[in-house]
Amino acid sequence: MPTSRRDFLKTSVLASSLLFVPKFLHALDSQGLQKLADANGRRLVVVQLGGGNDGLNTIVPYRNDLYYKARPTLGIREQSGVLALDKDLGFNPNMARLKDLYDQGYVAVLNSVGYPNPDRSHFRSMDIWQSGSASDQYVSTGWLGRYLDSNCPACQVPYNGLEVDDTLSLAMKGELRKGLALKNPEKFHQITQNQFIAQVSGEKPTGAVSELDYLYKTLAETSSSADYLYQTSKVYKSSVAYPTTEFGRNLKTTAELINSGIDTRVFYVSLTGFDTHVRQQEQQGRLLGDLSNGLASFAEDLQKAGNFNDTLVLVFSEFGRRVTQNASNGTDHGTANNVLLLGGAFSKKESLIMLPTSKTSWTATYATNLIFAASTPPSCTTGCKPTTRQF
Amino acid sequence: MTTQQQLQHLYWRAGFGPRPEDVANGLSPRKALRQLLRDSEKIELLDSPEMHYQEAFTSFVAVSPGAGTPQTTMTTTPDQTTTGAGIKQPGPVASLSARSAVRRGINQPPLLRRENMTAQQRKMQNDGIRQSFYAMNTGWMNRMATSPAQLREKMTFFWHGHFACRVRRPDAALHLNNTIRQLALGKFGDLLLAVSKEPAMLQFLNNQQNRKQRPNENFAREVMELFTMGRGNYTEKDVKEAARAFTGWGYNARGEFVFRENQHDDGPKTFLNRTGNFNGEQVLSIILEQPRTAEFIATKMYRFFVNDTPNSAHIQPLAQAFFKSGYDLSVLVEQMFSAGWFYEAANVGTRIKSPIELLAGIKRTMGLQLVNDRPLVVFQKALGQTLFEPPNVAGWPGGRNWIDSSSLLYRLQLPSVLLRNAEFNVALKEDENDIAPQVSKLDRTFRQQVKTTVKLAPVQAMLANTAPTQQAAKLSEFVLQAPIRPDNLALIQKAADTAPAEGRLRAMITSLLSLPEYQLM
Repeated sequence: MPTSRRDFLKTSVLASSLLFVPKFLHALDSQGLQKLADANGRRLVVVQLGGGNDGLNTIVPYRNDLYYKARPTLGIREQSGVLALDKDLGFNPNMARLKDLYDQGYVAVLNSVGYPNPDRSHFRSMDIWQSGSASDQYVSTGWLGRYLDSNCPACQVPYNGLEVDDTLSLAMKGELRKGLALKNPEKFHQITQNQFIAQVSGEKPTGAVSELDYLYKTLAETSSSADYLYQTSKVYKSSVAYPTTEFGRNLKTTAELINSGIDTRVFYVSLTGFDTHVRQQEQQGRLLGDLSNGLASFAEDLQKAGNFNDTLVLVFSEFGRRVTQNASNGTDHGTANNVLLLGGAFSKKESLIMLPTSKTSWTATYATNLIFAASTPPSCTTGCKPTTRQF
Repeated sequence: MTTQQQLQHLYWRAGFGPRPEDVANGLSPRKALRQLLRDSEKIELLDSPEMHYQEAFTSFVAVSPGAGTPQTTMTTTPDQTTTGAGIKQPGPVASLSARSAVRRGINQPPLLRRENMTAQQRKMQNDGIRQSFYAMNTGWMNRMATSPAQLREKMTFFWHGHFACRVRRPDAALHLNNTIRQLALGKFGDLLLAVSKEPAMLQFLNNQQNRKQRPNENFAREVMELFTMGRGNYTEKDVKEAARAFTGWGYNARGEFVFRENQHDDGPKTFLNRTGNFNGEQVLSIILEQPRTAEFIATKMYRFFVNDTPNSAHIQPLAQAFFKSGYDLSVLVEQMFSAGWFYEAANVGTRIKSPIELLAGIKRTMGLQLVNDRPLVVFQKALGQTLFEPPNVAGWPGGRNWIDSSSLLYRLQLPSVLLRNAEFNVALKEDENDIAPQVSKLDRTFRQQVKTTVKLAPVQAMLANTAPTQQAAKLSEFVLQAPIRPDNLALIQKAADTAPAEGRLRAMITSLLSLPEYQLM
């Protein structure tokens, strides 16, 4: 765990450059990290659970008396269908399809991932997760954006980082480069085909320094990206059934883009509604079902096209919720939480649940994933120095 | 650089853009600046009954005062009583102290503990709070577009990003905003002290939890790092010592600043190489004695009002005069806006407008009003800057950070939405709104046409003596601060020539506002 703000940043920045890997290894179970490092991740799909998902009812400690004592009505009993995993933990009953993937060895769970000195505000916690800052520090770039900023040749077009949404998250904004947000390639393309915008975007920037040139350059890149994405996404149309929810649709779009061969290293997708202060069970159950079914269809889709093995999915939420249930059958804002990892290259029967004795530093998790994203091509292993602001 | 462009430059930077009549006046920039300063002497607080959140259901749920988490205990009270004859319009308050300028009622109930609320109550509370914030947001936007006190509103906007603060209580947020508005052009020391004692800020930076036995350093750290000196000019030890000086600064259940003496550490502290039993006020005074503070503020203002890239040759004299004047902000802005370099080409049309400046600018220049103001908040969220919702205490990063693929496309579509009834279509992110994180998908999705009214007659008058073939060029000089690219001018002139006579002007304006050039000021 980082001891100061300075160390914190040094660790995460250097770690992601792969030059100082041992520096943070101690923060994460080293065996587990090795398994992840062997997982051959070529692209990273980040799934954000907005609102603070209750980790305890996601990965249920169903043999723990303290859990049931703190949650007399909200605790999920074994007999109500907890999907037993390992070490007396089980998935929420709505996560049957994810359990299947777990049994095949494709899912890993990191427990108790949080950041030091947590803040219980939604927006501040999300700001911290997305920027990768310390809790008392303010950074205006995102951790994936800084990855895009890195000098690797594969990060030079906006769609190297894609968010399936209408607006772009801080996580995807770098100092020099930013990802691209789109709900679906067709709609996005349509906007850039607006006659006026199309005419204007055809103009070339005259230099590379002025703000005006920057605007024209961004517009030109947006336009050509939209064109590329629209044309490319036609290559593969998914035949897998996804949940008929917004999240399901967004994952389907993601899979179609991946399977069409689009050269994107990082994807970002959100599922929202986890702020369950009231009557949690029904609401969270529905959302976890959506998550499980969506991810399972996504895995199936990628498997079909042979793209699952080099994909890593990271599922996180801005914070967990308190152990004790409140008076409205819900839970209030807490701190650390579990993080799910899903990937085709986790070998069978090697699925891992890591239960570190101390809280796992979430930066270690981030660093791990940056390794995945940066592990190929080779030029990235030396050239990927994320540029961050000076601290 | 023509005089007209210089004049427009001043209106863009010191306010929210020129109106056609401002240009028609033909004032010299110097005279216009004097006028701006004069018009901004008057202080009109932001206020309306809609901005006051009223708890609707306290009558049947008892809460003990002061109950709840720190987030919900803060109970600042309405700034104006809303009963009887409606809003009481506050008069000029420059002579009053900051603390007494905005009246506080005493009967506003505390927010209920969220844990004890039913889903229905929670929803009602969220809706009520959200409505208040919407009213504050759009009320201020309209003020930006119409107030003669342009410089005061622009400064208030600057400080809104500098003293960035985000709280759940609308009344606390409004009170802070009006304190800033009131002191925005006065002495920086007064502003700093007043803001530091605002319940909103004390809550946001956890000074309510700053106690002798268990100091919380958040407030002390940000005061130095972000509000005054900037990093590198103090040590971690200074942060700890300053935090001790601020112990006991808090607010009571009525939303008033209180000094809780029994929680204050009155022992000796060593702060910035001086030793004494300092209290919070004294720590702020010591900070103001550092010339570095004047330099930090002058630099930040230069970056906001002049150029993203600081120029030390311009800033040093500003900072020195600012320091000598005892941190007089009027002195600083007057010097800045009358400097020769302010009107040089390198500083004109070279700054990317923030979403608020873009929106307020269109509203002001075209006399544009929305039939229903709600979409103004949607545009802000889609473009990445929502009033009263800064991303964190460091404020909005600005500059090129405003621009990504999707925000740029929204910017380019916006004029068609506002002037030509094009549909705006966006699903907002849930977490952009901490006030009500459970806003439904439907509520977060905006897909409709926006009804507006505009005043194009003044623009029309401006073009009265210009031949139709020259009108696009003439108009571009008024609308754009960056020189228009020749291809674009031809494009717009051509579109105007083919438009039906009655829609010609509107077509030209819409096209000009949709250009990348218009993103700059």
